[in-house]
Amino acid sequence: MGDTTFYDLVRGPLLRFALFIFFAGISYRFFRVVFLGLPPDYAKPKGNPYYMAVKKIVIKPTMGWTFNEIFSRRAVNFIGGFLFHLGFLGLTFFVPAHALLWREITGLPIPTIPNLLGDILAYAALGSLLALTIHRMLNPVLKLLTGKDEYFANFLIGAILFTGLLATKWAGGGFYVWILSTHMLLADLLIIYIPFSRLSHFVYYFLSVGFMGWNAGKRGVSF
Amino acid sequence: MESLYHIYRRRGYTRRDFLKSVLLLSAVLGFPPTSFGQAVKALELKPKPVVIWLEFQDCAGCTESFIRSTSILPSDVLLDYISLEYHETLMSPSGFYAEEAKREAIEKYKGKYILIVEGSVSPRNKGVYCTVSGKSNVELLKEAAQNAGLVIAVGSCASWGGIPHAEPNPTGAVPVSQILGDRQVVNIPGCPPISDVMVAVIAGFVITGKPPELDSMGRPKTFYGQTIHDRCYRRPFYNAGKLAGSFDDESARKGYCLYKLGCKGPITRNACATIRWNGGLSFPIQSGHPCFGCSEPNFWDRGFIYSPLSVVEGGFGWKGILAGVATGVALGAASAAINKKFREK
Repeated sequence: MGDTTFYDLVRGPLLRFALFIFFAGISYRFFRVVFLGLPPDYAKPKGNPYYMAVKKIVIKPTMGWTFNEIFSRRAVNFIGGFLFHLGFLGLTFFVPAHALLWREITGLPIPTIPNLLGDILAYAALGSLLALTIHRMLNPVLKLLTGKDEYFANFLIGAILFTGLLATKWAGGGFYVWILSTHMLLADLLIIYIPFSRLSHFVYYFLSVGFMGWNAGKRGVSF
Repeated sequence: MESLYHIYRRRGYTRRDFLKSVLLLSAVLGFPPTSFGQAVKALELKPKPVVIWLEFQDCAGCTESFIRSTSILPSDVLLDYISLEYHETLMSPSGFYAEEAKREAIEKYKGKYILIVEGSVSPRNKGVYCTVSGKSNVELLKEAAQNAGLVIAVGSCASWGGIPHAEPNPTGAVPVSQILGDRQVVNIPGCPPISDVMVAVIAGFVITGKPPELDSMGRPKTFYGQTIHDRCYRRPFYNAGKLAGSFDDESARKGYCLYKLGCKGPITRNACATIRWNGGLSFPIQSGHPCFGCSEPNFWDRGFIYSPLSVVEGGFGWKGILAGVATGVALGAASAAINKKFREK
């Protein structure tokens, strides 16, 4: 198979298949739970469940942002996690090549970021991913919680970031098409993998945090 | 038979002109400086190459490109330099006399002549869609290739099937290499290919006596080893993220990269960005139009000429998203129903 044939495969049929599996998988997992339903609760809400759901989603990420929490106890988790998410999501949606893809898929006017910012995000995401992975391997508690799923996901995302950087910076001749194709193949695999792994927190995080907020609002308690 | 040097002198060029041409040719072919003497000697002494040029399902665009070679060999020398024994578009005889000339050339220069094929081959229905003098194109190709010293497929049609091969491919067009099986074919794709590349490959064969180094798809590595993107003069704009938004906006006037406008330079191997066209004057990207990858296989069927490379080929859109979500919801409902049934049991 020639490199352009392979490129056409990963950016055409395989990407369409991956996106279909992504949306089908995410919806399947969500609605499987929704259709199971909740036991009937006849009690009158004591607070405002919907307001609390939104509040929880919005302020949850900053709830642990105290100096002691960040710098004395969980520095790698907080700083690394923040940098990684900022970098990875920023790159996924706002790098020009990706923004054009999302525009095509959603029809929405996705803005683009300058290349310099893209580079900073890529190096930040790659560096923090490495730090987070090493931290996982060394921290006794995290080590217990970590399975093959996490290592595979970290490897896959790291490879995507690395090949993406290579594809942007590469000027070494004919292998460019293979590098670009590898980047897109790995991205296709990630898109398929997300709904069936813990990476699905990419979508379900907001749902679960929102549900917790909604529950707190119903009971009239703070979180 | 005359050598290239003799033709130069007869045409009134000096030895210096001849040496300058050979130097340029050696540079284009990527020969080391030490082999310059060998190249001069070969082109000074070896007789001019005998070429049989077959045209099948083509538009003669590759021929038009070939006779406009300007930078390596002046066009008045080029047609003298190559002993074109058979070429439907350029030769004056026709009918029986033309076919007879070809037959005689094949006999006389057995194992020495260069066979150039332009256009795709159509083997469907015993090759009835493309015949010359009552013979099918497949038969003509096999007959001429059998005793050729070198087979060159010029243009994307001969190399990959090209436009005749595009959907729905009514004549069952295939590339030359598919008909000739194990026979080595040098592919010089492009729609049309760059004239200087065609001339350089022929001259390189005369100098070295063997075909150029080829990649896995039969293309000379010297000319198709790198993508247009790698050698594009607009590459610094790409690296800086400066992309033209439309064909006539301010960014386009400033010469920004044409990625957003659908440029296929990043995945297209050709020498357009280095050798360029019309004596090195320009090439499509320089004139403000994105490359649409004419030298890559199936370029016509790709279709997304003005869509950026990163978009989903064939589109996905809200319809795709809704189809995915609907499937997921249906599966989720089915799963919940099955679970409920088990719980009730």
